[in-house]
Amino acid sequence: MDLLIQIIFGLLSALIIGAAMMVVTVRNVIHAALWLIASFFGVAALYLTLEAEFIAVVQVLVYVGAISILVLFAIMLTRSSEGERLLTQHWWAAAIISLGLFGAVLLPTLVGHHWNLPLPTGPAGTPESLAGVEELGRGFVNEFLIQFEVAGILLTVALIGAIVIAFEERSRRRRVLTLSEEHILRQRQQATATAAQAALVTADAAD
Amino acid sequence: MQDVVNQVINTTFGWNWPSWAIALIGYLIVAVILFAIAPFQMLFLTLYERRAIARMQDRVGPNRVGPEGIFQPLADGVKIFTKEDIVPDAADHWVHFIAPCVVVAPTMFMFVVLPWGPGMVPVDLNIGLLFFFAISSVSAVGLLMAGWASSNKFALIGAMRAVAQMVSYEIPAVISLLALVLITGSLSIVDMISYQGGLFISSRDVASVPDWGLGWFIFTPVGFLAFVAFFIAALAEGERTPFDIPEADSEIVAGYMTEYSGMKFGLFYLAQYVLNFLLCAITSVIFFGGWQGPGVGWLYAQAITPVNPQGGWVFNVLAGVLGVVYFLSKTYFFFFVMVWIRGAFARLRIDQLMDFGWKFLIPLTLVNVISAAVWVALTKWGAADGLAFVEGWSPLVRWAVAFVVTLAMNLGAYLYLARIFAHSQAERERLDDEVLESLINVV
Amino acid sequence: MTRAIPLEAVLVVAAALFCIGLFGALSRRNLVGVLMGVELMLNSVNINLVAFWRYLEPRFITGPTFAIFIITVAAAEAAVGLAMIIAIYRSWLTVNIDSVDSLKG
Repeated sequence: MDLLIQIIFGLLSALIIGAAMMVVTVRNVIHAALWLIASFFGVAALYLTLEAEFIAVVQVLVYVGAISILVLFAIMLTRSSEGERLLTQHWWAAAIISLGLFGAVLLPTLVGHHWNLPLPTGPAGTPESLAGVEELGRGFVNEFLIQFEVAGILLTVALIGAIVIAFEERSRRRRVLTLSEEHILRQRQQATATAAQAALVTADAAD
Repeated sequence: MQDVVNQVINTTFGWNWPSWAIALIGYLIVAVILFAIAPFQMLFLTLYERRAIARMQDRVGPNRVGPEGIFQPLADGVKIFTKEDIVPDAADHWVHFIAPCVVVAPTMFMFVVLPWGPGMVPVDLNIGLLFFFAISSVSAVGLLMAGWASSNKFALIGAMRAVAQMVSYEIPAVISLLALVLITGSLSIVDMISYQGGLFISSRDVASVPDWGLGWFIFTPVGFLAFVAFFIAALAEGERTPFDIPEADSEIVAGYMTEYSGMKFGLFYLAQYVLNFLLCAITSVIFFGGWQGPGVGWLYAQAITPVNPQGGWVFNVLAGVLGVVYFLSKTYFFFFVMVWIRGAFARLRIDQLMDFGWKFLIPLTLVNVISAAVWVALTKWGAADGLAFVEGWSPLVRWAVAFVVTLAMNLGAYLYLARIFAHSQAERERLDDEVLESLINVV
Repeated sequence: MTRAIPLEAVLVVAAALFCIGLFGALSRRNLVGVLMGVELMLNSVNINLVAFWRYLEPRFITGPTFAIFIITVAAAEAAVGLAMIIAIYRSWLTVNIDSVDSLKG
């Protein structure tokens, strides 16, 4: 059983890291976004192995279902620079910073630090008591009420902000008439034309 | 399932396999059954839809292959399998290839949490409902991939429309279910079904009600409003008429499916019908009690369950069969309603669709959540939660008061929002008219 | 789960993801690419939070609460960021970070 979990964990980490590498290196931005989705999925599966089902499902719902869709939409609405340089001029500096951070700071710290894990209680194989969805819901209306409200305000602000920033005024929008509108337009033109003609005719008759 | 596998392997043969192998085999068997049922069912749903819609339009429909055309789906299947698989030269080959799989896989995943009968659920997740909708939103990515990879403008427009529609209608769908989650106090689909025992009134709300399996959520004001909102949102998610804008064939050929042929096209088709079936199924499960119905609860109480190991296996079979019959008849009824709506309504325009979703349906479902909270307060709370005045009332009175109050809230919200919505639509039409007028003056 | 995989393994995966995201955010020319790097970094932070919750104090909900908070922040950030990218694209007709430099002086 332990071996199975280790194999699954290894595969998932390979998926997460590999997909993330593809995100930052692949040339096509759409492909990068698709690899990003693969990475999100890997992270969701990792949460499942960590027995955080709710977070895993929220990860899929928010990251895969909403954020990646937004990213794909944004890419499709702004397609411009094909075949140009992928990275900025100083990408090597970024590479040194990230590699240095990982190799010199994070890795030694994480491996060297002694985590005082709580000792497992009870005999091996018994499921531990984990905080679930119900505790989470209660927590959000009791001790974490402030965080909950701040998150709500943040979302409202983001909603309004996004609309205000991306809003294009109605009059500036390029507008293509629909077939029915063209039809109405033509009908009205004909109506005004016949009305003008009728006015002419009546004017003639009056003369 | 796992108990049966365990019985066969470890007791009958005496091989002593570890528990994870038993679990693996049990899940594999369930998965194979579901994977066999889903496409098979989709084949006959297509036939059913074609015949029913033909009947409504005073036609005959496919009736040549086999008696009354029941082998027509097989003929269609053979046709789709033998067609040439054409990929456009300009297409992004890998994405074009993967897209149908990304669309089909989530629909298959959604079967994981769907209960078919009492005790007949592949996996009883404690977050089943959320899982269902989280997974369903993944197929939007597949649609976008299909539309983009085809490098065809109709495909891209279709995909954009499909995704915009799916993302915006997911919100009212989830919020309308949130109201019922609030009442049930659980995200597990199995819990939601077991809450709906009773007779008109759920026996969890009023304990003295006899359990006839008829305490469905549809009989409460909160549940009714949630049902209407959810079913409209489900029509939009399943891309059914009047929301079939993504594949409006008279405008944009076939939407995101334009550049697909052969079995890849077949996969999109499969995903669509399976998704429709699942949406009908979840409607019947959440609002109409799923397998709940007269007799099932009694039969299941006599059966072999973890609670009652001394039961008779005959009752397991009987309860299962009766439950599946109830569940499927409700589900197929909703599929019929979908077909019926397709026969009765014209297609909406994309701006009408978005307006209706964002300006009418979402506020209405939000009010419904508040009604659900009031419902919970009036039926379940006591002096400890700060509602001392309800303490002396009998459960039935509390239920009746909750019914009246939520009914008034929902009805008021509906009437008010309908007025505002009609006003905003009139305003929009006036603006459009102004634009037209200005165009006339230019001409 | 906690017996099969040491906490360090999960943390190292998260750290690697963070560094990859950092590289993407610093080096990509496309603004959407930068945003994708930031999303990766937020994800790695979330992995850390959930891992610490699972290994150190599984009975309390502090870890999941903050994970959900960060997911909310990420969603808000993505919405506003992408709206800004679209606004930038509308006035510059490009989404490359080195061509949007009129504030440089």
